Amino acid sequence: MSTSRAFRLAPAFALIALLVRPALARADEPSDVLRDVWTRLQQIAPGQDAQADKPKPQAVPSGTDAPTIQLHDLSHPISLEKSIRAAAGTPPADLRLTIPNGQARLGDFSIGSDQTVKGDLLVLEGTADVYGRLEGNLVSWGGDIVLHSGAVVSGDVLAFDGQVRLEGGEVTGEVRTMSSPAAEQPTAVAPSPMSHVLRSLAGTTGVFLTMMLAGFGLVLFGKSPLEVTSDTVRSSFSRAFIVGLLGQILVLPTFGMLVVGLILTVAGILLIPFVVIVFALLLVAGVVGGALAVAHAMGESITRRQMAQGRALSPNSYRYLLVGMACIFAPWLVWTLFGWVPVAGELMLGAAILISWLLASVGFGAALLSRGGLKEQFAGRFIPPEMLTDEFLWATPRYGVPAAKRPEGTTPRPGSRPSDGSR
Amino acid sequence: MSREFLLAGAILLGAARVQAQTLREYSSTRQDHGESRLAATIQYTGGTLEVVPAPAGILYALRLTYDADRVAPVARFDAAAPRLTLGTETLRQSGGVRVSHRGTPPAATIGLGTHADLDLDIELGAAEANLELGGIRISRLKLQTGASKTVVRFSDSNPIRCSEAELSAGAAELLVVGLGYSRCGEVDFTGGVGKVTLDFAGRWSGPIHLDANMAMGELVLRVPRQAGVKLELDKFLASFAPAGLVRSADGRTWMSSGFAGSSQQLVVEVETAFGGVTVEWID
Repeated sequence: MSTSRAFRLAPAFALIALLVRPALARADEPSDVLRDVWTRLQQIAPGQDAQADKPKPQAVPSGTDAPTIQLHDLSHPISLEKSIRAAAGTPPADLRLTIPNGQARLGDFSIGSDQTVKGDLLVLEGTADVYGRLEGNLVSWGGDIVLHSGAVVSGDVLAFDGQVRLEGGEVTGEVRTMSSPAAEQPTAVAPSPMSHVLRSLAGTTGVFLTMMLAGFGLVLFGKSPLEVTSDTVRSSFSRAFIVGLLGQILVLPTFGMLVVGLILTVAGILLIPFVVIVFALLLVAGVVGGALAVAHAMGESITRRQMAQGRALSPNSYRYLLVGMACIFAPWLVWTLFGWVPVAGELMLGAAILISWLLASVGFGAALLSRGGLKEQFAGRFIPPEMLTDEFLWATPRYGVPAAKRPEGTTPRPGSRPSDGSR
Repeated sequence: MSREFLLAGAILLGAARVQAQTLREYSSTRQDHGESRLAATIQYTGGTLEVVPAPAGILYALRLTYDADRVAPVARFDAAAPRLTLGTETLRQSGGVRVSHRGTPPAATIGLGTHADLDLDIELGAAEANLELGGIRISRLKLQTGASKTVVRFSDSNPIRCSEAELSAGAAELLVVGLGYSRCGEVDFTGGVGKVTLDFAGRWSGPIHLDANMAMGELVLRVPRQAGVKLELDKFLASFAPAGLVRSADGRTWMSSGFAGSSQQLVVEVETAFGGVTVEWID
């Protein structure tokens, strides 16, 4: 930087330093400093006088084709604002307005202390100073309303994007102010799609891992009930769903009856806290265990189908759970990735919830049908497991062994002894 | 191929547009022109609300910062009735994705004049309200709170007698301080779930009858030590801390030792299911 240039910029630096110093003394945040500096610059900058922006005071002509603005009722300022805003956008030269029983003014306007104005008054882009009397409503657009000592407005007063200063004046009606709608203020920062995806992914993964841990624990310590419930899901799917649905409906009545029953026995009142806890735990176990059983059943079906196609896989409950849970969480994964899309994202969420609810209902029903995996009645196990030997499975025809027909006259009668005389 | 990418990008950008809040400020004031009574209703849907006595010469004043996309300001005055409604009302929601409030929350300050007798009805939604009603001429009070946290305070004496204070709270935390100053002879309280504290401190102008019905939650009665308390309790699976009250022969009534001779008699009828009732003495 050359010396002459530095000299030329020195006053500017000095000015900025002068402006910033008092601002720094007051402000707590950098944004306050900048705002204060900007305000001071506006105050001292030549040609930036607020008066300069105001239009020349004049009456707004009316006409038959001019838009009409009703000012007799100011109790609905929002609808009034729309009509004034539409008119205020017109260039001053072309501005025409009809105020029924009143008048419109552009620029500053004042009512003298010895004056009485009859009818409603609209002041656009200027300050309305009232020293005298106004018999009607007063509305300002983009300017303040000042009611000086002795002023009387026998009506309502409304300032759009301005202030009403009561400096001793009297208003028989309502005094209202309304700010212009601030440009969209995204104070609530909308999450970006990426942040939505990451956040949803974290949540979904967390639930998935939790369920997997619970499932692996169940396989480790309660494999048999899990398999029985899983088989119930596969063998009695519709029945399990209906039972699950009924179970959901009857959960609360059952709980209520249980509590009331205990209360009626008087002595049972003491058991209520324990019953509440046990009931809640059983309910959670039924729902979670049922969901894991559904995952197990899904995983088993898929794995066996893959094996039937010749793929070498290790059929075990851990794999079944992993595959099944991946299937159950697939709709959630889709929502995780595309859930930020409006409407479609909500539909995906709804679909994921619906699918999860359906599967949870089936699982809950299967848990109820199998009494928590203890009864095999609906598990499709018609043959005792001990009979499921390789010889039985491969040597026995699918529809059993047809019995040979006995020769005529050899049918033993009830109570008769064998005719070969063997003893 | 690039055209498909552009189309997908445009869809994604358009889809990502969300509707933010549009904050506006609104104020409404009316000067006092000698109104002697007023049926006032304050309805506030959500945000923070503060109610204070208005300065001299003002009948009422409302200052509101609100989200113009969700609510509309309400300031209706019917001079013939005379009836006043202040606050906000919810707009019908249009489509689009709404963004939760994390920026400037909606807020309202309402000033109520101290010269007209008020039949005051306050309806709160999901709001956090701080109501200072001390010094305001309240002839009847009705307060309904939804899912909110509400503090009602009578810091100064009500210049007139209040026939009834009807309080109801949904899933809310409600604290009423200085009911003695309210000069309400009848206090009815109906509560759903939450913690409710009724403080009877202040300058009593006669006996107070409290009828409280609490479903689930905690009801705390804070009573001046010099007051005589008679409490009838109808409870079901609820606890009760009598705090020195003596149980009568019927087993349902509890009474303080100096109830008959006390100039500040509080008769309480409490009906509660699950929850607890606690009596605390204040000096």
